[in-house]
Amino acid sequence: MATRAQPGPLSQAGSAGVAAVATVGVASGPGPGRPGPLQDETLGVASVPSQWRAVQGIRGETKSCQTASIATANASAQARNHVDAQVQTEAPVPVSVQPPSQYDIPRLAAFLRRVEAVVIRELNKNWQSHAFDGFEVNWTEQQQMVSCLYTLGYPPAQAQGLHVTSISWNSTGSVVACAYGRLDHGDWSTLKSFVCAWNLDRRDLRPQQPSAVVEVPSAVLCLAFHPTQPSHVAGGLYSGEVLVWDLSRLEDPLLWRTGLTDDTHTDPVSQVLSVATDGKVLLWQGIGAGQLQLTEGFALVMQQLPRSTKLKKHPHGETEVGATAVAFSSFDPRLFILGTEGGFPLKCSLAAGEAALTRMPSSVPLRAPAQFTFSPHGGPIYSVSCSPFHRNLFLSAGTDGHVHLYSMLQAPPLTSLQLSLKYLFAVRWSPVRPLVFAAASGKGDVQLFDLQKSSQKPTVLIKQTQDESPVYCLEFNSQQTQLLAAGDAQGTVKVWQLSTEFTEQGPREAEDLDCLAAEVAT
Amino acid sequence: MTDVEETLKRIQSHKGVIGTMVVNAEGIPIRTTLDNSTTVQYAGLLHHLTMKAKSTVRDIDPQNDLTFLRIRSKKHEIMVAPDKEYLLIVIQNPCE
Repeated sequence: MATRAQPGPLSQAGSAGVAAVATVGVASGPGPGRPGPLQDETLGVASVPSQWRAVQGIRGETKSCQTASIATANASAQARNHVDAQVQTEAPVPVSVQPPSQYDIPRLAAFLRRVEAVVIRELNKNWQSHAFDGFEVNWTEQQQMVSCLYTLGYPPAQAQGLHVTSISWNSTGSVVACAYGRLDHGDWSTLKSFVCAWNLDRRDLRPQQPSAVVEVPSAVLCLAFHPTQPSHVAGGLYSGEVLVWDLSRLEDPLLWRTGLTDDTHTDPVSQVLSVATDGKVLLWQGIGAGQLQLTEGFALVMQQLPRSTKLKKHPHGETEVGATAVAFSSFDPRLFILGTEGGFPLKCSLAAGEAALTRMPSSVPLRAPAQFTFSPHGGPIYSVSCSPFHRNLFLSAGTDGHVHLYSMLQAPPLTSLQLSLKYLFAVRWSPVRPLVFAAASGKGDVQLFDLQKSSQKPTVLIKQTQDESPVYCLEFNSQQTQLLAAGDAQGTVKVWQLSTEFTEQGPREAEDLDCLAAEVAT
Repeated sequence: MTDVEETLKRIQSHKGVIGTMVVNAEGIPIRTTLDNSTTVQYAGLLHHLTMKAKSTVRDIDPQNDLTFLRIRSKKHEIMVAPDKEYLLIVIQNPCE
């Protein structure tokens, strides 16, 4: 038995062990492979797992989760203290001359006795001296050419094909404003247009983006800045309204408005004077909140024009004379020159007293302002300009391509220059040189005339547009005298810098102008 | 009184004279033939310039003194006759 219980080879160890266990449990049996009949055996335990749900239990799994860590950071802020300050310039208070009675007369007389002889001697020497003949000093750098400084445009207006109808510089000479509209529409139009202003003194001037834009419901035909307030500008619309804007207010810039009929031209003095093709000349004054009120009105009626020249058509009935251009005299603030559709300039005065014979309705009694009629052009006058140096001279330009130089003392013009074969849209005297003027023509160029050099052909011809589209308006800058702005039919405003010969006065120009004016035919 | 007026009228009516004025030692005009604002401007500016010219002459040579000042410009000539208490300013347009 013991030898038989020895384990077999290793691979059979398990079974041999079991066999051994089995035989041991049998105890003294006859042999291992032969079970005896009816013997007890002990078998291993057999178990059956329960199918009962409760025993099976709830299966659970353990999971865990964790939020990501919260990031924190420290920062600090501090409110600053503000201090507001404002600066305002005030108009200078004029100082007056002391009255003479306060001063010591005998000492003054003694002083004058002492110096009189010296002064008279110097005056005589000066009068006869030739020491300074032909002596000229150049203080500034000479600029020989005329160059274009800026080309300004407003793309939405140009996309609509609007023309620049009018330009104006403001009283400080730093802002140029232009009005967009169309000059070739013969009928009423409800086209929206713009008034744009560029501030040329700002460093971030962008030529395609104006510093102020005002949208207007109808085409603007003319524009003028206030002579002393640098941000007020008045414009006359095609629909006949006159609006005044304040460009320093960014939200609603509209200051005053009025309703009228027919298209207008404006020329603000301190009130606004508007001139229209229905023959009325109206003077408006701003009152309080938002309304321009008519203070004085004038009407031009054919019969009441003074008969100083022979006008070809003899009028029947009360026909009105349409006015297309206006210019105030620089010497007499109540005197102004009107250019008319009939081609003759009129000298008018704000102080005229005679009532106008017209049946046009008006809230203010209309008066007849015309005092003198000059001999006509061949077509309607588009522009007049009074000389800032001589009280009697003015220029007028019209559709016949001629510029006439008139003296207020006589009806026929002093000289007549043919500048172009097409229309002339604007003419302006130079604010610095008494003998220079500029004209804008329908052929796309700006002509500068110097009457001292040549009275027949232009001294300088500036080509503004490439495709000969007309130049409609031009203005000199009276503060920065070398700048000239011109607006054309392509919707661009070009600011030209003039050469030095146009910005500095020569020694004898004022006298030459007087001689020219004195050539009044007797 | 008439003495003063006559002298000033004689100077003013001389050939080419545009304006005449008398200014006191503080730069305030006493008599003038021009309009107010121009007078005040000339008086203030020329008073300063005369004082500066006088101090220039004295600095170069203390024994010397300013007797007359003439400024020639493109358009006209300004003549200043200085004194302890007053200044006489004459503006002339010389013929050339």
